[in-house]
Amino acid sequence: MTMGKFLVRRILQGVFVIWGVVTIMFGLRTVSPGDPATMMLGQGATQELIERVREQEGLNEPIYVQYFDYLQGMIVGDLGYSWQSNREVEAMVIERIPATIELAVAATIVAIVIAIPLGVVSATRRNEPADYGATMFSLLGISTPNFWLGLMLILLLSVSLGIFPTGRRPVGFGQAVMTVIQYGSVYDLLVWLQHITLPALTLGTYFTALITRLTRSGMVDELGKPYVTASRAKGLPSVLVRYKHVLRNTMIPIITVLGLQLGTLLGGAVITETVFNWPGLGLRLIDALGARDWPLMQGIIVFIAIAYVTINIVVDSLYNYLNPQVRDE
Amino acid sequence: MQGVNNSLERRALLKRTGAATSIAGLAAIAGCLDDPSSGDDEIDELTITLSQFPDTIDPLDHITGDYFDVYDHIYEPLFDFEPGEGIFPRVVEDWEIQEGEGVTELSLRDDVVFHNGDDLTAEDVAWTINRTVDPEMGVVSDIGAYGLGSIEGAEALDDTTVAVGYGAAPGLAEFEFGNYARAMNMEWAIENHDAENGAISGADPEDFNGTGPYQVTDFTSGEEIVLERFDDYWGDEPPFETVIFNADGESSGRVNSLRTDETDLTINILPEDVGTVDDADDIEIRRVTSFRNIFCPMKNTVEPFDSQEFRQAMNYAVDNEAIVNSVLSGYGEARGQPVAPGINGFNDEIEPYEQDVGMAESLVEESGYGGVEIELTVPQGRYLNDAEVGETVADQIDQLENVSCEANLVEFGIVSDANSAGVDPDVIEIPFYLIGWGTITGDTDYGVQGFFTIPDNESRTFDDEELSDAILESQQIEDPDERRAQLEEVNQLAHEKAPFLFLHTQESIYGVREQISWEPREDETIYIWEMDA
Repeated sequence: MTMGKFLVRRILQGVFVIWGVVTIMFGLRTVSPGDPATMMLGQGATQELIERVREQEGLNEPIYVQYFDYLQGMIVGDLGYSWQSNREVEAMVIERIPATIELAVAATIVAIVIAIPLGVVSATRRNEPADYGATMFSLLGISTPNFWLGLMLILLLSVSLGIFPTGRRPVGFGQAVMTVIQYGSVYDLLVWLQHITLPALTLGTYFTALITRLTRSGMVDELGKPYVTASRAKGLPSVLVRYKHVLRNTMIPIITVLGLQLGTLLGGAVITETVFNWPGLGLRLIDALGARDWPLMQGIIVFIAIAYVTINIVVDSLYNYLNPQVRDE
Repeated sequence: MQGVNNSLERRALLKRTGAATSIAGLAAIAGCLDDPSSGDDEIDELTITLSQFPDTIDPLDHITGDYFDVYDHIYEPLFDFEPGEGIFPRVVEDWEIQEGEGVTELSLRDDVVFHNGDDLTAEDVAWTINRTVDPEMGVVSDIGAYGLGSIEGAEALDDTTVAVGYGAAPGLAEFEFGNYARAMNMEWAIENHDAENGAISGADPEDFNGTGPYQVTDFTSGEEIVLERFDDYWGDEPPFETVIFNADGESSGRVNSLRTDETDLTINILPEDVGTVDDADDIEIRRVTSFRNIFCPMKNTVEPFDSQEFRQAMNYAVDNEAIVNSVLSGYGEARGQPVAPGINGFNDEIEPYEQDVGMAESLVEESGYGGVEIELTVPQGRYLNDAEVGETVADQIDQLENVSCEANLVEFGIVSDANSAGVDPDVIEIPFYLIGWGTITGDTDYGVQGFFTIPDNESRTFDDEELSDAILESQQIEDPDERRAQLEEVNQLAHEKAPFLFLHTQESIYGVREQISWEPREDETIYIWEMDA
């Protein structure tokens, strides 16, 4: 299969997935209790007014008509208005994307910075204390629930030691960088770092553990391959063999997993954002759920689906480019 | 937020200097520097952490405490309301009942200006009241439906006089406009937000414009609002230069913010978190019995709740005192009527129902519903330990020999819908549920009319002519003492007819920096101008 065909197939699959998500969301909204018009207007509305809004919003139309109207809106990018705040859903989604991206990227960086060295050490010192330590860390990292870890970090590093704040995001990364550029002050950058450290550690721990194990197993596999033995036999320094050849070959599946995990993280790290009051999409989704603000919920879920599908397509394409065998599988 | 001028973060940063740059390297430095804002220094900046951040910026589009906590500092009340005492002049200097006309004339101060520099006029006030009470105008407002329930409209007589018309006794109207009357800038609202045809919305500081002592200088929708003193405010200078409101849905999170100096005052602390605050330095718990009652309505148009004996049995089945002491750790008071002490018309002769299982079982048999299975629908996270309270209530009912009861935990929206679904038996899906109601006008009418009156009230939860008539009668009594006596009678009737399974009046629990001088109010409102530091 050519690269073009591969891409077209993947995009079509992605569109199908997004359509599925949109349809399920619409279905859930249809069967969920509560009258949308009453929810929009509040409890003080007269029956006459409720009826008028039902008419205006097309809520008296048959379900299939409402569904096609809804799809049509989605296609042209009209996600409607929040029932709670009367603001455009697009604006409410867009304003929360930076916080979510910051947290996802920071958590990924945490995973890369900790996991790869740890995995390398673990693989090159098999059955030594360093390996046992790394394996234990991985086991703990994968087993520890996010919410518990977050709360423990807050209790230890915020409440007891006073090193980090308990949550929130008073300044965004973009603004922090602008402050550096405009005023030459790193103040905002420090504030941003202060606030993102604990959420990033919390969110990144699971992925750190995952990547550590992946790095270790990948390297162990590679180290047993004939080219490594041959390289060593040629007299190449083991450090060169280890880091130039072995680690490089190990990185391909790791990059793939990292990419896919980034997609998951962009899906709104609901628990971490809630624990740290981090104003990303996950927290907004929870707020929307609590208020049964369906248009906002739909907007967020659709965005998450699009982000997830897009990242998957990009990662698959890269992997496919790097490893043409995939196209034929 | 302009970080370079952000003194809040500066305070945090100074306290934990450089900690963010390196966990290991600079952690030792953190906390070694004194916080310049701690100790006995005057506080210029106050941070308040709510449990819910206002999700709409229209000051008339809500009737929830968290909104008033924020917006009352921007769109100030026209009157000062003192729980248990009545209303006092504020923006309205004086008011006069026009006998027999169903009208009270309000005289406004002539030196009040909006944050955008416009003068406040009677037309602004009249328009705001009309926009509140008229569901066809602007936004459908729960304040109009409930808070200003008897108010029919308002008209500007001249630049500083507003005539407010009502369809009930002047005393009731006074409780209502005394609590809920606000002033918006008519011209600004119409020109900038088409406010006669929809809700005000937006995400910028310029989208707010009131006459209050604070004006909005920074606003991050859904996260934080920063208020600063309004220099041209007509009244006394408020105590803090800057006030920041943010929110955290978790009680433990709010408490942690308080412990780490990230906030100075927080609300709705759960009983299980009280000890954490008590054990910490420089912060303390402050509490007050609120005007908010918790109860379980029983819609009497469906079985088995159509039987008064059965409804009374439900009340005898439950041990309110034990629930208050165990589930709420004492942060409440058992109650046997729809309103709390301090409310006009509260009947102090009425004792709460005492648990009597034998009596409950025999009443169930009398009702003819022995062996019935019922479900109690309970919200989670709305009221003080609501889920645990509801589960305990259901369990105690279930322990009756002749009734089975289960608790069904749901999100609050479902309970809210159930409460406003009316009493048509063909429509009722949830006839028995737990809910809370704060009678924040300070008058019994607000605690009963929405639930019990029949005419023009499709959202009622109880269908009883005698109770409805008693309330309607109270609304027309002009003499305050007579009216109070009638409201006491309404509460007595409600106790006997048992439209609710009466539970308790809950306490409001706040965590506050010791340095701040402030006493919580029964109506759950937080006013910065009542503080000092």
